[in-house]
Amino acid sequence: MTPSAIVLLVLKICSLMGLGLYCIFAAIIVRQEQLMAHVLEEAFEPVLKLLTIIHLIASLGTFFLAIILL
Amino acid sequence: MPILYQPPKPNKPARQKGDTHDVRMGPLTSYIVGPTGIRFETQEQGEKIILFMRQHVIFLVPTICLAILLVLAPSVLVPFMLRFMHLPIRLPVGYVIVGTLFWYVVTFGVVLIRFLRWFFNIYIVTDKRVVDIDFVHLLYKEFSEAKLSKIQDMTFKTGGFFSTIFNYGNVVIQTAGELPNFDFESVPNPEKVVQTISGLIHKSTSSTI
Repeated sequence: MTPSAIVLLVLKICSLMGLGLYCIFAAIIVRQEQLMAHVLEEAFEPVLKLLTIIHLIASLGTFFLAIILL
Repeated sequence: MPILYQPPKPNKPARQKGDTHDVRMGPLTSYIVGPTGIRFETQEQGEKIILFMRQHVIFLVPTICLAILLVLAPSVLVPFMLRFMHLPIRLPVGYVIVGTLFWYVVTFGVVLIRFLRWFFNIYIVTDKRVVDIDFVHLLYKEFSEAKLSKIQDMTFKTGGFFSTIFNYGNVVIQTAGELPNFDFESVPNPEKVVQTISGLIHKSTSSTI
């Protein structure tokens, strides 16, 4: 294994770990938004919920794209 | 048959500022009197929301500026870095694609969290109590309340260039006993907030006598 291949492997593992942690973080945002929606019920809340879900889907998509591309 | 007499139509009373009939909230509302269509967790039956406040909407401007910077950064920084940095290895295209995508997802996340913090940091005055709901950070929220009868003293502070222009300030509510004091930070129209709460306290004490 060449040194550059080792560097790329380490980089790949670190990237996937970072992306995985970010997906967990995005899931926490969705959950927290749900909890806060119970605290305050108002008309704009479904839009916020949608935005947090889009964010979670985007982070999961990036994670799976990283698995395929890297 | 011709109409001989038609009584004049009663004029509708002009909408006063702060009128409490069907006042709908928008997503960027930071001060509203008598809002409809909202409800908070511990709201009792028949309890009416008189005032609903958040930090002044001007506090979202740094978030917007940050978002613009973060969106523009890759198109400015990446060519700069590629020109001046000499990486020991050549990065495959996949890393550039994933890295760029991740950057924009994080940008979206940062803006979303900052907006959520602003959106869920709320101060409510009802006809029975004052409520302070704080979304301190992602995993921590704080809910405090005090009955109007427990309020002892109120002060408001405004100071500085922006608070004078946009008319916002801090309202500090001191409560009796070991109850926590309330600090409504950077709310619009602080003098009206104090006036409204004073009026409610006066009303509640005169009704109990």
